[in-house]
Amino acid sequence: MKPRASGWMFAAPYLTLFTAFVIGPLLFGFALSLFRWELLSNVKPTFVGFENYAEAFRDPYVHQALGATLRFVWMAVPATILLALVIATGLNAVAGNRQGFWRAAIYVPHLLTVSVAGILWRWFYNKEFGILNALLKPIGIEIPWLSDPAWAMPAIVLMTLWWTLGGPSVVLLSGLQNIPVSYLEAASLDGATPVQRYFRIILPLMRPVLLFVTVMHVIGGFQVFGQVYMITRGGPELSTRSLVQYIYETAFNNYRMGYAAALSWILFAVIALFTLVQFRLMREERS
Amino acid sequence: MMTPRRAVLTALGGLIAAPGLLSGCSSSVIGGRKQTTIRFWNGFTGPDGRTMLGLVRKFNAENPDVHVVMQRMDWGTFYNKLFVAGLGGRAPECFVLHTRAMLRFALAGFATPLDTFVASENGLPEQDFEPGVWDATTYKSEHFGIPLDVHAMGMYTNRALLKEVDWNPEAPPVNTAEFIDVCKRVRKLPKQESERYGFVFTNLETNGYTLIRQFGGNVFTPDMQTCILNSPENQNGLMFGRSLIEDGLVPSPENFDAWIGFRQGRVAMAFEGIYMLADLQRQKDLDYGGAPVPQFGNTKAVWADSHNLCMRRGLDAPTAAATWRFMRFLSNNSLDWALGGQIPTRISQLESPDFAKMEVQAQFAKQVKIVKYHPKVPFIFEYLTEFTLAVEKILRGREKAPVALKTAEDNINRIIDRQRKQGVSGGDQA
Repeated sequence: MKPRASGWMFAAPYLTLFTAFVIGPLLFGFALSLFRWELLSNVKPTFVGFENYAEAFRDPYVHQALGATLRFVWMAVPATILLALVIATGLNAVAGNRQGFWRAAIYVPHLLTVSVAGILWRWFYNKEFGILNALLKPIGIEIPWLSDPAWAMPAIVLMTLWWTLGGPSVVLLSGLQNIPVSYLEAASLDGATPVQRYFRIILPLMRPVLLFVTVMHVIGGFQVFGQVYMITRGGPELSTRSLVQYIYETAFNNYRMGYAAALSWILFAVIALFTLVQFRLMREERS
Repeated sequence: MMTPRRAVLTALGGLIAAPGLLSGCSSSVIGGRKQTTIRFWNGFTGPDGRTMLGLVRKFNAENPDVHVVMQRMDWGTFYNKLFVAGLGGRAPECFVLHTRAMLRFALAGFATPLDTFVASENGLPEQDFEPGVWDATTYKSEHFGIPLDVHAMGMYTNRALLKEVDWNPEAPPVNTAEFIDVCKRVRKLPKQESERYGFVFTNLETNGYTLIRQFGGNVFTPDMQTCILNSPENQNGLMFGRSLIEDGLVPSPENFDAWIGFRQGRVAMAFEGIYMLADLQRQKDLDYGGAPVPQFGNTKAVWADSHNLCMRRGLDAPTAAATWRFMRFLSNNSLDWALGGQIPTRISQLESPDFAKMEVQAQFAKQVKIVKYHPKVPFIFEYLTEFTLAVEKILRGREKAPVALKTAEDNINRIIDRQRKQGVSGGDQA
């Protein structure tokens, strides 16, 4: 058997599933986005071209949902990367079994389902009766975590950090552990200070891992849904309703399938755009 | 000839029907006797689910030729799952719908009209249902559900806190003056670690809807063709709610968890549905009571919704008969259902001595004749989004009532226009 044919055969099981469950639905979704299709309508689905896309650009709720999603990504991703890097650096400095303990401890929240974590933090955030304000009150601070549109998104970001920080911390820790000790020893012999070693040796070598973690978190950030749905349901005043939640509601609450498909493709385009930019950065790094 | 909508739904259903065809057999032979299996879907995931499970077991024990299998799922995703199951031809034989959601399932052709069953020899006495609740299940003169309960909003009171402010807990406030008096008294209490309030808004949608209906307002014109949310009556109702906050008597609304404050004993009064009673029944350290919602405007009204038992369209005669037998059993035994924190809809049960013993339910049931359902519109979620957003903005003081209500009204009228162009039938005024 020719090597090329055997290669395709090895890939066939995956390609079959990939085509059936990813490519197929993607194309079906794109076709759907070109139709006006309301499940409760007496009118059969009609081809409207890019009218659903045009409607999306006019829809103030799309602007609002996209804005909320961007705010989440803007706040959550840099904070996640920065804190995960700090935690990973700290863990890397801890020796032996203690490192294993702390690594597990930091990862534990990530094991909770989004519903459990969401309900827990919804209670924590209650303005009048929640534990966070109970702790802050003695120092004269009371934050309307979920009732003020200015605070609701930061509150979701804070919860997301607590919930998800373990994952990137562990990935970055493995990146740190893969840096050859000889590089650092050589830098020390050349008289580099710890700060210089960190910023001149460690961080540049960590760049591929950091970019990987960033790309994954940007993609995940644009798809934020679970924690928002559990904590605020998109409120207050729809200020935290993400694009994915709006798509979900458009399709499964309002039964506007064509329009929801168009919104999904717009989200796909936004994510693809950001991902391409980041891949571009990665390529520059390689060159 | 098949209507375009039915054709579309059938076509889409065909795409995902295969598993349903494989598992669609609803009768089996057990011990030489034919047994019909009825799948029963509902969203009773809390303590009400245990009560319902008890009723299902009782029915199964009394009816060996029928086996009801109950499946519970969260209301948040229940309707999506049910609708998709309907599209795929895999909907359960029996399912529960809220009154406000029923129109969509009737329009989609998933629920069957029940009038012939009700009028049959083994039917149900139509005149025994509370008329307002029974009428709310109709669409184009046909009944699509048997109302199992009416979960009206009522006033939960913290009796200990009322006593602390020298208010007789046996005579909770019934009007605006008394209500505000209690709120003021609670605010004058010595400060504690966490603040105490006479009242908190627990659910903006239901609290807001009650206020506008009490002030004589409504959402649509009687023909359901135009939204009239920005009426002076609706403005007055919601501005009254806002005034309570501006006067410092009530905290700015929390999204969900003001109810926790009530359960912690820091709130004297809260307007919530009877379904929250189960929470309180398990809490032994709170001396609570129930009462009708005070009358603030010139109209007696409180928000309500109902759980309705519905049957899938297109069942064969034996399965439909078995399903109806189960639905009839639940309706006839809805006093047991009420025990878990519900109000039955059968007049004979409402007037029974056993129901009178259920203190909170009996208090809330005093409002059964004045309950107001949300209008039955096919775009119920979009309408509720707009309505709740307007209420939220007004109560938080982010926008004046005329501005917020006008925005919502314009948006809803645009949805009506869109639906009209798309050939979606209109709704009914509740």
